[in-house]
Amino acid sequence: MAESPSVANPDANSTVSRKRRKIDPDSPTRILAETGPTRWRTQAEQQIYSSKLMGALRHIRRPDSGGHAAVRDAADRVLAISARGKTRWSRAILTNRLSLRLAHINRKHKKAAKPSAGKSRPRKPAVLQKKLPPVQSKVKVLSRLVPGCRKVSLPNLLEETTDYIAALEMQVKAMTFITGLLNAGQNFTSS
Amino acid sequence: MEPNVEAVQPQFRSGISGAKIVFDDIRGLIPDPPETDGTSFTALLELPPPQAVELLVKEDFPAKTMPLPIFPSNIALIDRASMFSVFASADNPPDRTNIFSASSSVKQEPLESEYHRNSSSPAVSDQSLKSIKRKEREKKNMQVKESTKKSKKVVANEASDGSGEQLPYVHVRARRGQATDSHSLAERARREKINARMKLLQDLVPGCNKISGTAMVLDEIINHVQALQRQVEFLSMRVAAVNPRIDFNFDALLAVDSESSIDNSYLGLFPPSIWPEGQTNGSRQQQPWLIDGLHLPSMGRVDNSSNFITPENSLLSYDSPANSASLHSSQLKIEL
Repeated sequence: MAESPSVANPDANSTVSRKRRKIDPDSPTRILAETGPTRWRTQAEQQIYSSKLMGALRHIRRPDSGGHAAVRDAADRVLAISARGKTRWSRAILTNRLSLRLAHINRKHKKAAKPSAGKSRPRKPAVLQKKLPPVQSKVKVLSRLVPGCRKVSLPNLLEETTDYIAALEMQVKAMTFITGLLNAGQNFTSS
Repeated sequence: MEPNVEAVQPQFRSGISGAKIVFDDIRGLIPDPPETDGTSFTALLELPPPQAVELLVKEDFPAKTMPLPIFPSNIALIDRASMFSVFASADNPPDRTNIFSASSSVKQEPLESEYHRNSSSPAVSDQSLKSIKRKEREKKNMQVKESTKKSKKVVANEASDGSGEQLPYVHVRARRGQATDSHSLAERARREKINARMKLLQDLVPGCNKISGTAMVLDEIINHVQALQRQVEFLSMRVAAVNPRIDFNFDALLAVDSESSIDNSYLGLFPPSIWPEGQTNGSRQQQPWLIDGLHLPSMGRVDNSSNFITPENSLLSYDSPANSASLHSSQLKIEL
């Protein structure tokens, strides 16, 4: 994995930060801080994520596949890694990476050749509208949004959504930060 | 106790393979004609309960060709016995009503049924003996609960447990005016789980606290997730826009090992809130402790992103100022 060399030291960093914070290795507060959606709020997580993201960004090939898609994929992948495999969406992101990326590249090539209309999966228009309850349809929409959660029961889906939202917020914060860094760095070098 | 005892017997003849050996062993344990008066009460207490009951109920004793499947005072065997007795005996219906009915009045029923059975044993109605049997029954009930119930109902029982009392029963106490059959119990447990998670989500998504109604809250959640994903897209576009100007591909030039050291140097400068201004000052003040964890074996690897931090590198005293000096010179050469 591209991020593996940079995994070791950021973890060391995180343990330093964690040692500073916790009093007792097995205290329930620490366990609570490590699981559940609140763990995304900690500074340590953001730093881990940022460092891994910088490492991943370095390994992006020069834009042969659409530039921002590769960055987005790298960001999502790093986010999934930071989740440490405890949530369903993170595992789905990591396992789907290769196939999605290939599909994306193929789609881009196809789009350049021939404009395709509509989505990749054709919808059957003649399906009887049985699921009219609005709650159910919204649940379906939500399950499509969260990666890897299409056939998940409702309480688990809600739990995954909680963690996913917290992780996304952290991702946005970290990426804003990194963008600022890069822009400032760029300005520094160019000036 | 008799139906239970009788039911237990055939189970043990057929069920447990090694039970026969146990029977023979235990037969030797039975003392010769026991008296049921108070003097041997303590002796009775030492025996495992089924045997004690059998001894008490004297008319049964000669009728049985084989002694009751009594165990040595081995807790494991007692548990197993109680488990088998559950599946065989006519106790099942009353036990099931234990589990599935949720009103408090039903809770009395198992106790009453116990007492009913216990009352069959005459005269020496020892409280301790009853308590032993009750504990057996409780264990059996607990195991029935574990084995026959779906997990949902267990959750329901444990979640809405009323008062624990001294019994290890897990009683479900229905609220006033609510249905008490199994389906609505499971439904209620499921709904409670869902509502708890929704509440967590409402706290997470800003502006959801005032909205009531699942559909609207779900709408808000969906909007929030979509907005966040769009933000990530935009940010990735910005990063990609910055990216071509900066050549990240320095692998060919420099060693890969020290890539992590560069990461650590980034970490030294990550004040999360105020990033533009606080890069030098804030990082020094807010996170001085990060520097302890940083290893800078060799700052050979240079990245253009580090171009702007090398002035700060020299300001922040790392391991060796010589490293940062070499960094300066090397990147001046390599810089685009």
